[in-house]
Amino acid sequence: MIPVHRALATLAATLALAAALVDARPAIDAATLAAEIEQDRDHISAPELAERIMRRDPDLRLFDLRSREDYEAFHIPSASHATLDELARTTFPRQASIVLYSEGSAHAAQAWVLLRLRGVRKVYFLREGVYEWIARVREPRLAVDATPGERAEFERAVALSRFFGGMARTSVPRSEVPDGYWTGTASRDVPSRAAQAIANVRRRGC
Amino acid sequence: MSPLSETGILGPAGVLLTAPLIGFAFGWFLERGGLGDARKLAGQFYFTDLTVFKVLFSALLTAMLGAFWLDRFGLLDLELVYLPETFVLPQAAGGVLFGAGFLVGGLCPGTSCVAAAAGRIDGLGIIGGMLLGVAGFNAAFDWIAPFYDSTALGAVTFTDMAGISRGAGVALVTAIALAGFAVASRLERQRP
Amino acid sequence: MISDARGRKPAARYTDPYLAGIGIGLVLLAAYVLVGRGLGASGAFASVVATGTAAVQGTARAAAAPATAPYLQQGLSSLLGDWLVLELAGVVAGGFLSAWMAGRTRRGIVHGPRIDGRQRLYAAVSGGVLMGFGAKLARGCTSGQALTGGALLSTGSWIFIAACFATGYALAPAARRLWR
Repeated sequence: MIPVHRALATLAATLALAAALVDARPAIDAATLAAEIEQDRDHISAPELAERIMRRDPDLRLFDLRSREDYEAFHIPSASHATLDELARTTFPRQASIVLYSEGSAHAAQAWVLLRLRGVRKVYFLREGVYEWIARVREPRLAVDATPGERAEFERAVALSRFFGGMARTSVPRSEVPDGYWTGTASRDVPSRAAQAIANVRRRGC
Repeated sequence: MSPLSETGILGPAGVLLTAPLIGFAFGWFLERGGLGDARKLAGQFYFTDLTVFKVLFSALLTAMLGAFWLDRFGLLDLELVYLPETFVLPQAAGGVLFGAGFLVGGLCPGTSCVAAAAGRIDGLGIIGGMLLGVAGFNAAFDWIAPFYDSTALGAVTFTDMAGISRGAGVALVTAIALAGFAVASRLERQRP
Repeated sequence: MISDARGRKPAARYTDPYLAGIGIGLVLLAAYVLVGRGLGASGAFASVVATGTAAVQGTARAAAAPATAPYLQQGLSSLLGDWLVLELAGVVAGGFLSAWMAGRTRRGIVHGPRIDGRQRLYAAVSGGVLMGFGAKLARGCTSGQALTGGALLSTGSWIFIAACFATGYALAPAARRLWR
């Protein structure tokens, strides 16, 4: 029996050594995260999120990080409410795609760092939070002097907005479609614009 | 892809069906290895018969290495496998009591069933004692509850707590087990 | 194999412990893959006690008591839906079949050379009481914590392994009379 034991022990030792070497992965540290942020691999755009929701992507897990009152008043369809604390303690399956959003991006970005540090693989956030959803999916706007590029984005958004029960608007003054509207980088003054956008949505009703 | 119960392939009825099948195989191998004999088990503590150590740690090693590599190749999602929660003091205290009982009884809960199945009355004695012990614990629960719930760390691995990778933990445990096996053979060679 | 005067074959030798261990390890791995959990034993004892308590005290009272509530989520029929109970039933069956096929089934009491059967039974019951209590505190036993949790690198499981074996070795000299 001894030769068999020796063979088994060697096999175990080899597998274990290989495990240690293979798992010496780059630690998820500041440098790795900084690189991901730099390369814009940390966020997802609202239209992309909308398409995933429409497709009923089974791996998608969407979380709203605002207050419970804000969540109850209006949230992106299929989103669950969560606090940073709760997220820190939840375990997610390997193939889950976590998407986070808050009012602007502060809380969502913090939660992103938290989850990445914990080793969650696929986590993204909406750069402009709930405002981006309303501006680019639910109530997209086309400026009077829109460029062809903006028009294309708008067309894509119209289909989405119809699906989510929103309303597209054309021929709006340029002031309502500032620079960066369609790339999710018009981040000045987002919280108040978000509040205004939500108020508009709710006022409409039937 | 797996656990099958978490990826929808195995429903609740299927899950229950696996229980006796898995148990059967478990009981089979326990008996085959001789763990249904209390004298053999107790011999562990007198260094005359190290079967318990050999069986326990080769089983642990196999499952641990298997789980690591299945997970690595994407065939098993370890995040979805139930990890017992850690309660530092209660588990230390429980371990002490359990170790004392294991020494005195010579059989653990699983092996007592194997012994009883083979006709050993002492196995039944252990089973009876265990039922009493559990009932006693329940009766005293109100007093024990604060201690029972204390020092909870949640479901954590020692690799997470020590800040080392899972692979490093696997290698460490393997090294300890293999060293233990080497010591065990030496001890047994000394006693013909 | 040569049969003895009563026509019984001598008992077969035990399997190599390392191979038996690997077998158990593969069974445990199968459990992880199939149902996302590991093996166990003491939990089944807890379920049986909880059900017994409910039968005696009444289901309502037992289901409200924090110690027994978790095991009575389906009232008195919780036992049938309890994975561990079904698993342990399998252990009994597997243990029996293996013993029977190896000619190792025999009614009797296994005990050390210096004590008799009755003393052994007292020791067995006492040991069982200690293990029953300890396993409840630790949320498991050698199957559930040491083996299953140990393979998953759970901190508490390794604490349990260390405490259990350290105590066994420490008290062994005092229990010598039972076994040597």
